[in-house]
Amino acid sequence: MTMNVQPDLEFIRAMKEAGGNTLKQCYQCATCSVACPLSSDTKPFPRKEMILAQWGLKDQLIADPNVYLCHHCGDCIALCPRGARPGDVLGAIRAYVYRSLGWPKGLADLCSKAKNLPVLIGIPAVVIFFMWLISGGMHFPSGEQFAKVGYTHFFGHWDFRLLAKNVLFIDIIMLGSVGIAVFSLYKGASALWNGMTASIGQNEVLYRPSVPQFIKQFLWPAILEILAHKRFRECTINADRVRGHQPLVWAFIGLFFVTCYSLFVQDVLGIFWPSMHGPLSMWGPVKWVANVAAVAMIMGTVILWQNRNKMEAAGTANTFYDWFLIWIIMGVGVTGLAAEVLRLVGVVSLGYIVYYVHLISVMMLFLYLPYTKFAHIVYRTLAMAFERYRESSYVKNPLNG
Amino acid sequence: MKKVYGAYLCTGCGIGAVLDVDGLKDAASDAGIAMKDHACLCGAEGRAFIEKDIADQGVNTIVVCGCSPRVMQQEFNFGEQTITVRGNLREHVAWTGSLKDDGSVDDFLQEMATDYVRMAVTRAQKTELPAPYKLETISKKILVMGGGIAGLTAAQEAAKAGYEVTLVEKEAQLGGKALGWRKMFPTAYPYADLENPSIQNMVAEVQANGKITVKTGTEVARIGGAPGQFNVTFKTAGAASEWDAPAKVTADQQDLINKGELEDPNKGLQKYTTANPDGEMFGAVVLATGWTPADVSQYEHLGHGKIANVVTNAEFEKLAKNGKVPARVAFVQSPGGKEDDKDFPYCNSVTSMVALKQANYVVEDNPVDGKAYILYQHMRTPGNAEFFYKSMQAKDGVFMTKAAVTKVTAGGGALLVDVEDNLLGENLQLEVDMVVLAAGMIPTTAGANTINLAYRQGPAFLDLDLFDGYADSHFVCFPYETRRTGIYNCGGVRKAETMDETIDDATGAALKAIQCIESANRGVAVHPRSGDQTYPDFFFSRCTQCKRCTEECPFGALDDDEKGTPLPNPTRCRRCGTCMGACPERIINFADYSIDMIGSMVKSIEVPDDDEEKLRVAVFVCENDAYPAIDMSGMHRNKMNRLVRFIPVRCLGSVNMVWIKDAMSSGMDGALLLGCKYGDDYQCHFVKGSEIASRRMENIGETLGSLGLEPERCGVREIAITDYDKLPAIIDEFVEEIVAMGPNPFKGY
Repeated sequence: MTMNVQPDLEFIRAMKEAGGNTLKQCYQCATCSVACPLSSDTKPFPRKEMILAQWGLKDQLIADPNVYLCHHCGDCIALCPRGARPGDVLGAIRAYVYRSLGWPKGLADLCSKAKNLPVLIGIPAVVIFFMWLISGGMHFPSGEQFAKVGYTHFFGHWDFRLLAKNVLFIDIIMLGSVGIAVFSLYKGASALWNGMTASIGQNEVLYRPSVPQFIKQFLWPAILEILAHKRFRECTINADRVRGHQPLVWAFIGLFFVTCYSLFVQDVLGIFWPSMHGPLSMWGPVKWVANVAAVAMIMGTVILWQNRNKMEAAGTANTFYDWFLIWIIMGVGVTGLAAEVLRLVGVVSLGYIVYYVHLISVMMLFLYLPYTKFAHIVYRTLAMAFERYRESSYVKNPLNG
Repeated sequence: MKKVYGAYLCTGCGIGAVLDVDGLKDAASDAGIAMKDHACLCGAEGRAFIEKDIADQGVNTIVVCGCSPRVMQQEFNFGEQTITVRGNLREHVAWTGSLKDDGSVDDFLQEMATDYVRMAVTRAQKTELPAPYKLETISKKILVMGGGIAGLTAAQEAAKAGYEVTLVEKEAQLGGKALGWRKMFPTAYPYADLENPSIQNMVAEVQANGKITVKTGTEVARIGGAPGQFNVTFKTAGAASEWDAPAKVTADQQDLINKGELEDPNKGLQKYTTANPDGEMFGAVVLATGWTPADVSQYEHLGHGKIANVVTNAEFEKLAKNGKVPARVAFVQSPGGKEDDKDFPYCNSVTSMVALKQANYVVEDNPVDGKAYILYQHMRTPGNAEFFYKSMQAKDGVFMTKAAVTKVTAGGGALLVDVEDNLLGENLQLEVDMVVLAAGMIPTTAGANTINLAYRQGPAFLDLDLFDGYADSHFVCFPYETRRTGIYNCGGVRKAETMDETIDDATGAALKAIQCIESANRGVAVHPRSGDQTYPDFFFSRCTQCKRCTEECPFGALDDDEKGTPLPNPTRCRRCGTCMGACPERIINFADYSIDMIGSMVKSIEVPDDDEEKLRVAVFVCENDAYPAIDMSGMHRNKMNRLVRFIPVRCLGSVNMVWIKDAMSSGMDGALLLGCKYGDDYQCHFVKGSEIASRRMENIGETLGSLGLEPERCGVREIAITDYDKLPAIIDEFVEEIVAMGPNPFKGY
């Protein structure tokens, strides 16, 4: 197979801006591929990714699963004799890929630069404020009422029992954001999968796994591996990150469960038994899960935050891409917990303001998911599934050759 | 000088512990010089012990038997008017053996020591105090051939050291190849950016220097004479002259010419021995005639000469100098495709550097879309050039990969370059506007005389095919030295090199030229026997005009007259003694190194004629590498075969076959020559000595055969100085062969 080479100079420049400014220092000794605990003997990385990046061969990189399999543990960075920081370069490539796969493009571009931060915060702030204005719920409740309904009348209240007014507004905001994110991720993940399968000559073949087969054989094992943090633990330089990342993952799972439960109880069961509306009982097990998860989320983020500070002190130039997600998650966790505490102690006005900020940060988390580092939740999982697919009997099937 | 002898035995360093001191002293007395012993001759007391005899008895010829002559040289130097001969009892004897188990002296070891004592005494009796050969008139001017960076630097450096210089350049202006450069490599920290060429400054400085005479548009027709007295004839570049250097004519060819059967190639030319009365005199010559760009059209798959826009690096530099270069350029560093990863011939590290430099032109001239691909098998950026490599590597538009370039084709208004075995993991096809081939730099000495000597051995350097045409005598061991004493090379004739390296080189060559002139002025050898005051002395009345010495001299030191009698040029001579070894009449000798001396030393070895256990093998050892290797073996306390006797020689080339005959006829059982490697990777300090010696030994083997002796009794072994640990085994093996053959049947006659 012969590759027609069309280096993309813009890509190289973008790469350098996105934290990969060292990429040109690589002289291809492959120390990184040997050092990398995640790279396999038959499909080593990141040596080849480095030269592809140096040569500005964007398309090859986007379809390269190795780019996502990298966990940025920094072992290669520590051992690189030229200071080329392969791990950082791969991070920059991922940032570039998330941006280039992102839809709509304007939003993706917006998320790539720190100077857009006011806009990035401004969008949800304005949307939620506007919704609050039009909801007619724009007043602080009395302390008595606040103790009873909490923030469930944030967007006002009506007596239409099939759908609480608050739920409607939150659904419009959040499901809208999630909808955009899911669509964008779907597009991106399809493009990525097609690119990855094409890179091994498997894009138009006879035998492909069905969706259940795909999930059972490739996706689910990948997810189990992710939950166990097996690969993170193989890193030597940055093994500490497991202590931050793992609580965070479980916190997200816990909060996801609580959100679904709450949604079901309040917005489905609540239709029939209106008493189900309002905050969850502080003494119910679900609320316990919620609180533990919230604390875990904050603790995990603090650990990751400190870790990044340490890296910066040691000379790593962390980019906006690296920090943005940490900031958002921290925002979600802190404002969520603070809003709850303020509700419990009955500070209405401050509680409402914190809740407003909480909504903003949650919307940022959802809306910007496909363009920020958060996108790795989908793309890395997909690459890990692909890694299994690549070695499976589907690919090895001679009829698929 | 009337010699008054004194012999001294040092019993320190373990010598007295394993040897019978009185026995050694008796041996010295028997050989003719009474010997005293001292426990530490090299100490202040020991030296005073000898100096007292010098003062009291007028001793002027001193034999010191103790450590190797390679050590303690200052301690045993008693001034220019005193001869010191050293017998090596420490490294060669005491440190290689021990007492017997019962605590008595080992008679084999003792016999070794007494032989070394006798040889030292004999040497002292036969040696003379040397008197240096002084030229009546000497020119200290330096001729620099070639006005490029190398020549300009050499001229400037020699002038700075106070010497008059004449700089000849065949082109109309000074500057050489550097005149055509757009930029030059970085010369100062951080070595990141190209610099504007400094050649014009260099030219201006040379032109302004009152000590330097510049002759442009001029060539050297011939160089006759010898260091200190080179007679140089200049001519207008390109013109023919009766003083052009004559081609070499062998003795056989001369016979044919004399009989009219062969046309004289030198018709119309002055004879090589004729000195041009109008010639200019110089003391030494720096050869800096540089290089020419290689032709690369033979690599058909790369398309040079057939496909437009496939150019060499030299052609690309010209384009870049004159204007903007194309935006997409591939630099091809190796022509061998997938079969051969060698770079283009004659490139060294320079073409790597040039590709980096020219890649910079591409991205500099095309800031938005410039793309330079460097396709290399080797990226050679030595020393500080690594910084330049790094800075070029950092440029967005510079793409590098190790790669095999298999084909260049023209297609659709562009060139397509097929690239395999590269670091990107797939075969590549690059679409470019231009392909630049990293053609090498061919030294001007490849295929042309260049130096134009009027020497008996011809106008060119000899055996340059060993060095691909580079004018060298030994790149590693003797930098800047050519096979012609007094002529030193630098720049492109020595190696494909960058400007920085050239400047270093040229400075070195200029200093070598000065060293040569000053050595000639003092009448001593310049190198490698620096400071040696002796020189070969010919007893001409017995010369048979056999021409062996004139043919074999590795340095062309000997011219000859019409009859073939050698005409020595002592300042060309390096004192290796190859002529001495060659002479069948044995009429060539040095004051402290003669046929008679070594022959007598051989004969002074005592050969027991009734003990089959005690065979004797004479080993003639080259002083340059083999002798130190034996010393090192001794220092490591390696055992040494006790049947051999080492006799140091200047070079195996100086071994006259009469010494072998002396050894065999005195009843010794074998003779071995131990010297440097010869051939392609020779290590011989005199270039040809060990090669010539092994040829002579083959011949003597035949002679022995005709006498009924086994030819294998005479051998040659090549060793490197690093072989000291293997040496005992090499010697043992040879001796075992002799033992297997049994004693010399002529023993005792």
